[in-house]
Amino acid sequence: MQSQSHAFPERAVHALHDQTLQVALRRAKDGFAVKRAVAVAGLPEFDALRDRAVQIKNHTLEHLDHYLEQYAEAVERSGGTVHWASSAEDARRIVVEICRAADAKMITKGKSMVGEEVGINDALEGAGFEVVETDLGEYIIQLAHEPPSHIIVPAVHKTRGQISDLFHENHQKYGLTRRLTEVPEMVNEARLILRDKYLAADVGITGANFLIAETGTNVIVTNEGNGDLTCSLPRVHIVTAGIEKVVPTAEDASTLLRLLARSATGQDLTTYTTFSTGPKREGDPDGPDEYHVVLIDNGRSTMLADQFREMLRCIRCGACMNHCPVYGAIGGHAYGWVYPGPMGSILTPLSVGLKEAGHLPNACTLNGHCADVCPVRIPLPDLLRTLRHQEYQLHLGAKRLRWGLAAWVWFTSHPRLYRLGTRVQARMLALLAGRKGRFTRMPLAGGWFRGGRDLPAPQGETFMAAWHRRQRDPGQRAQAQRNLDQREQAQREQGQ
Amino acid sequence: MSDRAAMLAAIRQGLGRGALGAEARAALGRRQGATDSAPLLPGLAQGPLTQVFRTGLEKVSGSMAEIATEADVPRAVAGYLAAHGLAAEAVIAPSLEALDWAGTDLKVHFGPTRGGDLVGVSLAWRGVAENGSLVLLSGADNPTSLNFLPDHHLVVLHHKDLVPHLEMVWTALRERGAGGWPRTVNVITGPSRTADIELTIQLGAHGPRSLHVLLVS
Repeated sequence: MQSQSHAFPERAVHALHDQTLQVALRRAKDGFAVKRAVAVAGLPEFDALRDRAVQIKNHTLEHLDHYLEQYAEAVERSGGTVHWASSAEDARRIVVEICRAADAKMITKGKSMVGEEVGINDALEGAGFEVVETDLGEYIIQLAHEPPSHIIVPAVHKTRGQISDLFHENHQKYGLTRRLTEVPEMVNEARLILRDKYLAADVGITGANFLIAETGTNVIVTNEGNGDLTCSLPRVHIVTAGIEKVVPTAEDASTLLRLLARSATGQDLTTYTTFSTGPKREGDPDGPDEYHVVLIDNGRSTMLADQFREMLRCIRCGACMNHCPVYGAIGGHAYGWVYPGPMGSILTPLSVGLKEAGHLPNACTLNGHCADVCPVRIPLPDLLRTLRHQEYQLHLGAKRLRWGLAAWVWFTSHPRLYRLGTRVQARMLALLAGRKGRFTRMPLAGGWFRGGRDLPAPQGETFMAAWHRRQRDPGQRAQAQRNLDQREQAQREQGQ
Repeated sequence: MSDRAAMLAAIRQGLGRGALGAEARAALGRRQGATDSAPLLPGLAQGPLTQVFRTGLEKVSGSMAEIATEADVPRAVAGYLAAHGLAAEAVIAPSLEALDWAGTDLKVHFGPTRGGDLVGVSLAWRGVAENGSLVLLSGADNPTSLNFLPDHHLVVLHHKDLVPHLEMVWTALRERGAGGWPRTVNVITGPSRTADIELTIQLGAHGPRSLHVLLVS
């Protein structure tokens, strides 16, 4: 997929002023965080399982060549074929070739983020195939010709009214002309239409949440049952998977499964967890005749070499974006590529380059919530800081920003001058603001005040000055100590 | 260089080492998995396994009835359909063909489905108490299509096949030996659902709208 990340600032401003999007985002944000918290509280072993998950992923990545070879041998033993795709282009070519060889017309797809990453749909449509996304959210954004805005709920940015319009416009060709307003009737209409697509499809393409090296199995999790129909009904099943998806055994996958749904949707387990191994066996009444796996590198092997290896532990649960204030304010599309939020702000520059996506690691408050909730303990803020550092070293940031930063660094490394400067500035700003105590405009900072925002003025004293004054005055010092004692007492009582 | 060799070489370059020796690979092959220790199994709620299973199943909008023997299955299926106002018709997994379906007024056929059946009846290989999950294996006697295409899915589970955790299923699959893993292992936890429109949960997205377990004690 073509990146639009270079336009992040403009896209973010646009998102902030999109009233419909803001309604959808508010609904999503609290729902996810609360559901996750409840699910995690219900499993006392959650943190111990996270430690196990880190061990599993680190061990597998350390021996990735071994486990991929073991996996590929097991797939071939069970009658499947493994294809190795170094780049997005390789992956697209391989998938198109398999579909051509199968003489396919209609292709159904289960939700796959790596499929979005390498742009499978455009390649297949360009080659003349009919491609239908079957996850309801993916189906909706396919009708809208949009990329996903969230890795778990791709159409989270759409309201019921917008979806109603999309269905009304696109379902008339099936003779369904009634305008729908309620969620159940919309789900039913999509079920009706997609049912026929499943049954007519020649090829089904799914992603993989895990690949099991011991048995050559791919695991997908869904709630709708769409991916499961996609890998069972068509005569050819293609799995697209990043190389980091492999784990040694089904037991290892089970540990990760306990973390995945809880972190993603707050469920204990998704409705369907489907393990597919090879094509259908002799005597099986259903299942595909052909089974293909496309293992995709697309920059992952490079990430093994440095601290970004930690990013390869990611199991794509979406918890980081569900807890990110920046994602919560602007949604996924502003990020401009496939993966949004904190994990996307790392993966995007690593995939499309810092020159294109340098804004993303800077669009972060470093509040650390993403790392707190990450089921595989990826130090996302550290990795974001490293990217900022790299961007600075490569002289990629805006010139104004570089000069500003350089000036600030010089000032902070001269503390006396810094204090004098801030003292003068605080006093001047307080005087300028007058009795209102607020600015409504300021030269060179017009952007801040756009849309009626004001800026509180300093009260005339710097923090350091206030601190020293309190230290000198015994009365104030005693009062500060009493305040502290009271707060601690209150906290103790709350704890009991 | 083949695609495979090129990709493995890139991975080894990223890892900063060459290919592993036969000895190192054999050592990895002897491990029990990535952590090389017994899996960490979460503690389950107190009480009989059946109760833990039922709690998990009902949490995800599934339902359950206990019956004494497998011979009671046809009558229990007929009773469920009548109680829910459904037509007395069903597609049955061949693994349950030997039961006395003729003794009921159900119109049944055996085998896979292409979506024309409102009710499907299957046999679970295992039940997992932890989350109230059913484990169904594909095979000549157990068409996978029954798990997803009918609107109502009824699943027979024998009490002896109820295990605490998913890990016991993998151990049992290894012990099955020669055939090993079937083409498809479906772990099913409740009926199909979606929250893709305004995060509103709606049952019956693409798969069954209801899931009912007949536990044979």
